[in-house]
Amino acid sequence: MTSTTIVPATSNTAMTDFSRTTSRWGQITMIIGLLISLAGPLDLVFASGLDIAPEQLWIAFAAVAATFGIIWIVEPLTYFPALGPAAMYQAFMIGNISNKLLPAALIAQTNIGAKPGSKRAELAAVVAICGAAAVHLVSLAIFVGLLGSWLISVIPPSVLLVTRLYVLPTVLAAVLVQAVVSMKQPRTTVIALVVSAVVVFVILPLAPSLAMVSTAIVVLATIMLAWFFRAKSVTAKSEPVHIE
Amino acid sequence: MHQPLAVQPQVTSNSTDVLAIANSPILWVCVAGVFGVIIIQSVIFMKAARRAAPSVDMSTQDIKTSFRSGAVSAIGPSLAVSLVAIALLGLFGAPAVLTRIGLIGSAAYEVSAASIAAGSMGAKLDDASYTQSVFAVAFFVMSMGGAMWMLATLILTPLLRKGDAKVRSVNPAAMAIVPAAALIGAFSCLGLSELPKSGIHVLAFLVSAAVMGLCLLLARKFSKSWLREWGLGFSIVIGLIAAYLAASPAIGA
Repeated sequence: MTSTTIVPATSNTAMTDFSRTTSRWGQITMIIGLLISLAGPLDLVFASGLDIAPEQLWIAFAAVAATFGIIWIVEPLTYFPALGPAAMYQAFMIGNISNKLLPAALIAQTNIGAKPGSKRAELAAVVAICGAAAVHLVSLAIFVGLLGSWLISVIPPSVLLVTRLYVLPTVLAAVLVQAVVSMKQPRTTVIALVVSAVVVFVILPLAPSLAMVSTAIVVLATIMLAWFFRAKSVTAKSEPVHIE
Repeated sequence: MHQPLAVQPQVTSNSTDVLAIANSPILWVCVAGVFGVIIIQSVIFMKAARRAAPSVDMSTQDIKTSFRSGAVSAIGPSLAVSLVAIALLGLFGAPAVLTRIGLIGSAAYEVSAASIAAGSMGAKLDDASYTQSVFAVAFFVMSMGGAMWMLATLILTPLLRKGDAKVRSVNPAAMAIVPAAALIGAFSCLGLSELPKSGIHVLAFLVSAAVMGLCLLLARKFSKSWLREWGLGFSIVIGLIAAYLAASPAIGA
């Protein structure tokens, strides 16, 4: 990205230095983060005495890849213009980008009057995400790590049971509504709901073994139908693809 | 842990005491590791930003203002994420919730991935088929999903920085339709799959969907963006309260 801001001549070397540092250390820290985040589950799968066949892992992974594989690639693409290269390495490790990091970066840019796309805006985003990360780590450690673990140990078993039994429909219902509202694509929504209803209420009762791949089937069918029946006037949205 | 190896697999893998292995010390060490990496990264990036700031007319005060703005604006969303995370503690245990939902990923993707992973083993996350093995596979797949996001970031960021023409010339119509179709398709299938399970599932689903719809409506009408941030947390809690009231006669609460 080229900046249109007029800046002193020294800025080139200083910003090149910034780019080099953040890109090198961004990559190093992200690779370490990636490895650590995989170490826990790998230990659980292979070293804790559970008899899990490697095929089970690959089948499960393939099912999720068929569902979200496109999003893995599209999300970094759509967030790049708003975040800039340095903040990319922060955002995709800290997570909760659309609901937390992006607003944090935008508010900081507004507060110091940085023009979007300028070098100042890029620095402000990086610094703001550092601030957001600090708050986020502290609140996670206190409210989830300490308070949450304590809560689990004191709440009545009946409440814990209800939570375990019914938390999935509550999460998924809310996420579905979020996705539908924030994507603003009524055609695609109708197609997705019809395809899902057919798969869940008609096909699955007839062929229960398809449950393994039902989500992947719905995703592929929805993409194809949405593409086939797309409005000809559709234009690209520049905003990131995310659920609010 | 100290049982003879020969007996261990049969004894543990069918156990439904998921929280016992979900809170193992090694997983906690990994949580500390992820926290540590993010802290180190933030320190390095802050220093780099401070060094570069004067060259683009950014004062020390601007740096302070940016940091504080980021921190303050993150308070609400962080607490909202914590509420969602707490609601999922009983299902995944604290270490998995902290790394998957709290950091790296988000509730929507991780819960979906876990649900799909369990489904691929012919199991569900909310009945007796949710064994320790199912949890291990689900946690592995959630983490692999997060790893793929990071991998995509590692590969694409340098390309995008160079302004690679190929990456930018993706068909705009396809970019508008395909990702949205994938997301709405995935979440509508996962959501509707909850309905045949029981009447209480239907109730929890409808209440939660209604609360989220209301939150988004009010957020738009009165431009209160905090309602959008808290929508998921509110929907989960109110949906669970409805489920608790409906289920309490059955579970003797």
